[in-house]
Amino acid sequence: MSDFERQHPVAAVSRAFTLIRGNFITILVFLFVGAQSENFPFLWWIAGGFGFLLIMGILNWWRFLYKVEDGILHIKSGVFVRKNIYLTKDRIQVIDVTSGIIQRMFGLVRLDIQTAGSSSRQAALEAITREKAKEINWILREDAESASGIGLSFDSDTVPAEDSITIKVPYKELLIAASTSGSFGIALSIIATIFSQLEPLISESEYFEYLFSLLPSQTDTIMIITIIVIFVLFAWFMSFFSTLLTYGNFQLEVKKKELVVSRGIFEKKRITVPFNRIQAIHVTEGIIRQPLGYASLHLESAGYGDDKGTGSIVLFPLIKQKNILPLLNEVLPDYEKELNGIKPPSRSLRRYLIRSALPVSVVTAALYWFLNFNIFIWVLPAASIFWGWLKYREAAVGWGGDIFLMRSRRLSKSTAYIKKKRVQDATIIQSPFQKWRNLCSIQMYVASGDQGKSFTVRDIELDDGMKLLDQVRKNGRIDYLFSEDDINKISLPGWA
Amino acid sequence: MTESLFHKITPRAIRVWQWGNSIGNLFYFIIPAGYALFFGLEGHHFWMVVSLTTLFLLIWILSIVWMPYLTWKNWRYAVDEKEIDLKRGVFIKSRTLIPLSRVQHVDTRQGPLLRWYGLSSVTISTAATTHEIPALDAVIADRVRRQISTFARLAEDDV
Repeated sequence: MSDFERQHPVAAVSRAFTLIRGNFITILVFLFVGAQSENFPFLWWIAGGFGFLLIMGILNWWRFLYKVEDGILHIKSGVFVRKNIYLTKDRIQVIDVTSGIIQRMFGLVRLDIQTAGSSSRQAALEAITREKAKEINWILREDAESASGIGLSFDSDTVPAEDSITIKVPYKELLIAASTSGSFGIALSIIATIFSQLEPLISESEYFEYLFSLLPSQTDTIMIITIIVIFVLFAWFMSFFSTLLTYGNFQLEVKKKELVVSRGIFEKKRITVPFNRIQAIHVTEGIIRQPLGYASLHLESAGYGDDKGTGSIVLFPLIKQKNILPLLNEVLPDYEKELNGIKPPSRSLRRYLIRSALPVSVVTAALYWFLNFNIFIWVLPAASIFWGWLKYREAAVGWGGDIFLMRSRRLSKSTAYIKKKRVQDATIIQSPFQKWRNLCSIQMYVASGDQGKSFTVRDIELDDGMKLLDQVRKNGRIDYLFSEDDINKISLPGWA
Repeated sequence: MTESLFHKITPRAIRVWQWGNSIGNLFYFIIPAGYALFFGLEGHHFWMVVSLTTLFLLIWILSIVWMPYLTWKNWRYAVDEKEIDLKRGVFIKSRTLIPLSRVQHVDTRQGPLLRWYGLSSVTISTAATTHEIPALDAVIADRVRRQISTFARLAEDDV
């Protein structure tokens, strides 16, 4: 392979689809606005948009050339601005093979090549034949395999190696995950957009009127409530099925040097994370999932995660709380998991309550007095006080020999494990009010994709904040142990 | 050693910020101007415009006379073999610790205003964040940059 080659033409279509998915929100907004104008037919908007994207896809495909030579993958890409990307063999960390729906219809695969830098996201070969993928992989990994642990295997037809553990999600838990998924809001907005498009059609049709005459009562309130209920149910179904399709066939493989996450029913995804790229793991307990005793596991990787450039990867979509520690012990044995920690002192409870209740109360008061809302709206501030208390209760920091644990709650409760040597920087922040009460907030950054991700715990004792900074400074050596009479001492992570 | 040696930043920084704020914060006056354009100057709108203008004038003056001094007074930085320690903030104070082994690169930067005063700023990037020590004397900035990159290289070795 010493000449430049083009990808399979299917890459053009697949590229167009990627563009659609990447600009989904923009497209929605356009449809929303576009439909309002009478003089320009709506269908033309859609046709024109798709035509444009298809042309972009074809141009992209035409201008994308690659060759492999002397252990270097050389890619030329870009329609107007030509980009030359060189990936050398010893820099390549992971080669992932996936196949989406389009690729599979033509028996093709997609090749993702990850290096330490962020530029590798552009170095994906959208659609090439399996043979070519094998060939490239063979050339690029030859002797690099032992050095950097490149793993390549094709989905579906792999036999797990002997020294790897494979963990799957039980069917029941997958259903629970789907029914409690958080993608609900997104689904709701999509349905609202579609509805806004169809609304003129529906309200003019007799069928619709017939449907409404079937409803028990004709008052406006009931009609509005019915519509809302239908919407919510619809959104729930959408999020249910999209989660099911995304996390169906979920499988976590633990190999000697890396973790391999594969998931998806129609569109298969495979993510390989070498252990030395893992920056942090965090356990998220959503508001619906927590009372049911479930949580999901995520990890932050320095190399590569989703398409947005963050390195967040779902390590396990749903798991019983009591199984978290056994699973983590199996997957990441070198993480210390049970540590001592400290909670914020009781005087910071007031700050937690005010912070969550004050804005809500002000808005509620305005709505109640100026817009004459129903008295039941005062449920919101009451709920926000409860929520503030929950946030206070969950907040905690802890540390061990080489690890930090930061637990806090926004909507969901999140418990993060960060290796001390993975902390990029640590900051303690003190507002005038906190200074007055001798408190501070602590924020730690870890690398995630080509950006950073921060973990924050608010209103801990200033002394404890300083001790934490000291731990970052010591970088592994522990010399502050919790004293016996420390009243805020707790043991973390606190699922047991 | 519990506390490393903290340095202040160059006092000429105050001048730079004064100039910067006096030009940059002129944008505040768009708000009363926009209000006047939108509602006119009749009746109570006139007083609204007057009070808004006074308010922003006050903010503008404070941002020139007072804030740069306070910002300068609250800035401290320390660099040693193990970490970079930054303290800053006038009202909300923060203290950041960057282990030197995490530092990816250090640059010095100099805009036209900084160049006029012979200053430059030092930018420290890690894999997750970027921090800046603003407005150091150009010579000192260069020394700090060299110091950080030397220490960072040494720190890299023991990880």
